Amino acid sequence: MNRKWIIPFFMAIYLPLLSGCWSSHELKDLAIVSAYALDKNEDGTYVGTFQLINPMNVPGALQGGASGQNPSIATYTATGGNPLEVSDNASTKVSRDLYFAHTSLLVISEELAREEGLATILDAMERGLEFRTTTKIVISRDMKAGDFVQVLTAIDQVPAEKAIKSLEFTEKLYGENVATDLQKFIKAAVLKGKEPLVSGFTVEGDIEKAKTMEQLQSSEGEATIEVNGIGVFKEGKLMNWIEGDKNEGTLWVLDQIQQAPVNIDWDDKKAAISYKVVRQKTNVEAQTKDEKPVISVHIRAEGDLRVIEVPVNVTDPHVIFRIEQALQQKIKDEAEAAIHEAQKTKTDIFGFGEKLHQSDPDSWKKLEPKWQDVYFPALDVDVTVEAFIRRTGMRNNPYLFNLNKKSD
Amino acid sequence: MEKAKISTIQLFILMILFQLSNSLLIPLAMKAGRDSWLAILIAAAVSIFLFFIYRALYLYYPSLLLTDYTEKIIGKFLGRILAFLYILFFLYCAARVLREFGVMLLSFAFPETPLFVACALMILVVIYTVFKGIEVVARTGELLFVIMIMLAFFLFLLIAISGLIDISNLKPAFEDSSKVLNTVFTETLYVPFGEIIVFTMIFPYLNQAKKMGKTGVAAISITGAALALTTILNISVLGVPLIERSLFPLLTTIQSIQVGGFLQRLDVIFILALVIGGFFKVTVYTYCAVIGTASLFNIKEPSKLAYPMGLTVLFVSMIIASNYSEHIQEGLKIFPLYVQLPFQIILPVFLLTIAFIKNRKKE
Amino acid sequence: MSYRKFLKKMKPKEQREDFKKGEPKSIGTSITENLNIIKQKTGNSPDIIIRMLTFSHDPGVSTAIVHVDGLVDNPTINEFLVQSMEDSVQEKLEEKDLFKVFSEKVVAVSSLETLKDWDSLFLALLSGDTVILADGKNEALIASTRGGERRLVEQSDSEITLRGSKEGFTESINTNTALVRRIIKNPNLWVESMNLGKQTNTDLSIMYINGIVDPDTVKEVRQRLGRVDLDAILDSGYIEQVIEDESSGLFPTVTHTERPDAVAGNLLEGRVAIFVSGTPHVLVVPAVMIQFFQTPEDYYVRFPISTLIRMLRVFMFLISLIGPAFYVAATTFHQEMIPTDLLVIIASQTESVPFPAIVEALIMEVTFEILREAGLRMPNKISATISIVGALVIGQGVIQAGIVSPAMVIVVATTAIASLATPNYDIAISARLLRFAFMLSAAIAGFYGIILGLIMLIVHLTSLRSFGVPYLAPFAPLELKSLKDTIIRGPIWSFNERPESLHPQNPVRQGKHQKPLPPLKRRMVRADTKEGDKNES
Repeated sequence: MNRKWIIPFFMAIYLPLLSGCWSSHELKDLAIVSAYALDKNEDGTYVGTFQLINPMNVPGALQGGASGQNPSIATYTATGGNPLEVSDNASTKVSRDLYFAHTSLLVISEELAREEGLATILDAMERGLEFRTTTKIVISRDMKAGDFVQVLTAIDQVPAEKAIKSLEFTEKLYGENVATDLQKFIKAAVLKGKEPLVSGFTVEGDIEKAKTMEQLQSSEGEATIEVNGIGVFKEGKLMNWIEGDKNEGTLWVLDQIQQAPVNIDWDDKKAAISYKVVRQKTNVEAQTKDEKPVISVHIRAEGDLRVIEVPVNVTDPHVIFRIEQALQQKIKDEAEAAIHEAQKTKTDIFGFGEKLHQSDPDSWKKLEPKWQDVYFPALDVDVTVEAFIRRTGMRNNPYLFNLNKKSD
Repeated sequence: MEKAKISTIQLFILMILFQLSNSLLIPLAMKAGRDSWLAILIAAAVSIFLFFIYRALYLYYPSLLLTDYTEKIIGKFLGRILAFLYILFFLYCAARVLREFGVMLLSFAFPETPLFVACALMILVVIYTVFKGIEVVARTGELLFVIMIMLAFFLFLLIAISGLIDISNLKPAFEDSSKVLNTVFTETLYVPFGEIIVFTMIFPYLNQAKKMGKTGVAAISITGAALALTTILNISVLGVPLIERSLFPLLTTIQSIQVGGFLQRLDVIFILALVIGGFFKVTVYTYCAVIGTASLFNIKEPSKLAYPMGLTVLFVSMIIASNYSEHIQEGLKIFPLYVQLPFQIILPVFLLTIAFIKNRKKE
Repeated sequence: MSYRKFLKKMKPKEQREDFKKGEPKSIGTSITENLNIIKQKTGNSPDIIIRMLTFSHDPGVSTAIVHVDGLVDNPTINEFLVQSMEDSVQEKLEEKDLFKVFSEKVVAVSSLETLKDWDSLFLALLSGDTVILADGKNEALIASTRGGERRLVEQSDSEITLRGSKEGFTESINTNTALVRRIIKNPNLWVESMNLGKQTNTDLSIMYINGIVDPDTVKEVRQRLGRVDLDAILDSGYIEQVIEDESSGLFPTVTHTERPDAVAGNLLEGRVAIFVSGTPHVLVVPAVMIQFFQTPEDYYVRFPISTLIRMLRVFMFLISLIGPAFYVAATTFHQEMIPTDLLVIIASQTESVPFPAIVEALIMEVTFEILREAGLRMPNKISATISIVGALVIGQGVIQAGIVSPAMVIVVATTAIASLATPNYDIAISARLLRFAFMLSAAIAGFYGIILGLIMLIVHLTSLRSFGVPYLAPFAPLELKSLKDTIIRGPIWSFNERPESLHPQNPVRQGKHQKPLPPLKRRMVRADTKEGDKNES
């Protein structure tokens, strides 16, 4: 062999030996964590519950002979002074490395979120290397976060997947909650003129039974996981919950509605006409008038009529126009209610402050220190709504309309 | 000097790839906050003047390397010392880039691997490339450039599709112009734009000297535009606070991509860009150190220097700092002002002045 | 004949081994002595046929015909040569010089010439020519009677196309050159022949189109061939290995083909073909890498289709190069990049597998290589058994036993098919070898290892040259004009220049306006437009 090749040759030979395989992990040495729940103990330490996927029991995997008979998840609980210590302690119980890159759900108990806030926890998650910024955060309401991740679900084999799917599904279909991931949360939390929102979850039914296979053996199930309310954060801590109609109003202003039903009353009949939004756009503009900030919110919605329980002639453009008017009023009311609620709690969840910063940085500098406490609650918000009915569903007039005609 | 020629298009690609390589990945000009893209554009514009200084030097000695014509300009003794200092400068730069690359790679993809191993693997490839000479470096650059462009296009498309871009993050623009200028002259001008000083070691290989001016200006402008665009993209996706907190904004941007539930977790693209960028910069620096040494000490086969020089770069990269914070502090505070400023700007201007006077006397 | 002159120039003639010192170099005057020398030299081999002929014209002078059985065309000798010799002699001519009589009168044989030295005589004799000796003459008459049994022109097995010529080269060098000549009927198609191999005396021809080819390339080819001093040349592979630029590298820097249309296409681009007697594989130089992903058929079908197919081939090549490596890297280093659902499936499969992923991959790859090698060398009847054993026993058994995960089998199978889809065997085989290197580097450093490996590969490839042409041309160094016939195949009417990297003497390939100009048809045209009436219906 030529002399000039000797050095690289030996380098090439020895390097693999040197490198060993430090960063490599065989799949069977990993415990894939699908959800991580954090609670707080009485003595102030953290209690972490890890929902691990048990691949052998996930149906659809070829060799999983036991699938369907055993739960497809396993949970482990550990305590520690900080979230990383918790996971270190848990590793000693699990015979494998806990692997967080596929963790899709981070559940924080309401208690922890209120008392301590999320700042320190999220920093540990981010710095702790393997957590991804697209992990969704939810809050378990009135219950332990640990219990939440232990509940089994019937259709989605991995409960964390179920929670995320219902989160995204309801966000899309009903516009009642927000799917907030780590990155979104941090982005909103660090901005002075914006506050993050996080969805809450509850479990209805017998939680203890829902942790066993009994949950999967009946068609009804012992308990169900439900989305319930949106939590408002201020300075990293949970402040209060937005619920019901205000949910929707909040999302209208936040420009996060994708498909939402809007029900309006007609001729004294409650929720007589249902309108389904298919396209929506909200513009928020901030200005300063006479040294005072003014926010104008413009909502534009397009959609179809879905349910009509009263005899109206929807082929008549004038009627459609009246329905549109009613819709606009309804949406406006919802949005304004949500804004008032936020002003009451002195939390700028809509990011009006940030908007002002962008459009008028100079006056923002003056307002910034007292924005949340003084200026935001006293803010003039002008909400304008445009709602369009593009189609009337699959039929023209409801048959009620014709029935009424006959009786005339 | 080795016996080789490169074409204008190769020089063009070399310049772009060299400047882009690792600057795409790290937070650039973040001192200027939201307006960092403006700082980048200004720095690029200023660096065109730098380029013309280097070009003027080259035009006086079109067939000589920087380390050769120092001797002609300021005399044998001083010139040789200066040439030697430049070689050390190139070596040190190579080591710095290698170190940075290694830390980046380990911190997000291979946390348990020792730094030495990651760097050693890289330097092995670098040595092999330098051994093959400038023509191979240039041609490899051409292919890698195509790969980089395809990646950039793909990424841009994905980011656009996934609806992450929020232009309002860029507002309010032009908040603090003094901060922008400050950033330009303390940071951005030196890295990456001032680094084109290495091309004084490559210009003599050019086969069409006439087109050099245009090529250089085009390359610098495109680099500036590309970097500014990337910064704009990062800011509009992540927002300034998040960028300030992250070591690699581009990685965070890539990790945010979610298209249709399947195209996500595209970190491998980042690794690819990282390795290509790191490889290319280290290679060019090491090559310049090797070829400079060969001409200074009159060594007949420059390629034989590839191994010792490569290993030197490896070991220097290990000992220059005991941890990454120290390394970054050196890089931000000491290195630009006391090393890069003199080597990239003051000394070339000084050399050019003397060369100008000398050549006028002759006439 | 030009080749002898050429040989003299190229080869400083050394003493050939089979003619030791003291032995006569040139032919003597006695016919018996001459025949004895022939017999002695050939060890009385029975296939050397010697026929004594005496003519009534001058009974004292005996002549002899010598030829090798099987190499000559028997009818030619019997009907034309012997017959016409007798006829011409019987005419009782005044001319005493027999050979002159033969060469002037015997017109039935295509070429006749006289020789004086033994070297050339044996070469001619063993090439299939017939030697005529006469008593009292210190020279021999050589009649061209080459013939004998040869394989017919058939379709090539290794390069099959659906469209295009079905002709493939044969083992006969004359047939092969003729096949190309039949395609390019141009006096500028030049052929130079030579004779190489100390023991085998193999015929060799180089072919190029004068006026297109770069003369430096031809010179380089001549020079490299002139250096060849091998004992034997049994196939063009021998020549390939002694004239290529990087003999220890994995990548071929010389292409070979069995198709005359491929050779013609290459000659027209400015390349040089090397024909070797006894093999249907014709070498073509210089070669660039992208050629190995192209087939003649690409030019026969419409360009969008062949562009797509070429891209597919490059993609296949990449898969066959890094497929298993990618899998190993993703499952052992970068699990975060696999979608969760997929990861769960893979995890459930590997749960019972006792080996690390890299060992699993090596097992399957080696098994596959064994199967392929076994299938290739066995007779057809046995290879059916091999595929059953391979598919059922190993494929299914290994999964059911839980030794290898099904995901890995899928990866390896895909890789195998991908490597078979690469049209050129030479480049596929280098990918096959490098695949193992990539797998190891993936096991050591994950994607980092793969990417470093790829960069190293690119550096290696860019440093390669084939007869002065950069191997990765026209990508590196970039030649924009030549890019349209690389991974993409532009329309034929756009190929106005020959590839730049080959430095053709005449770079213009065709007229400028070759794009078809169909009559105005279905576009919106005014009613009074006269053009294109015929197409309207």
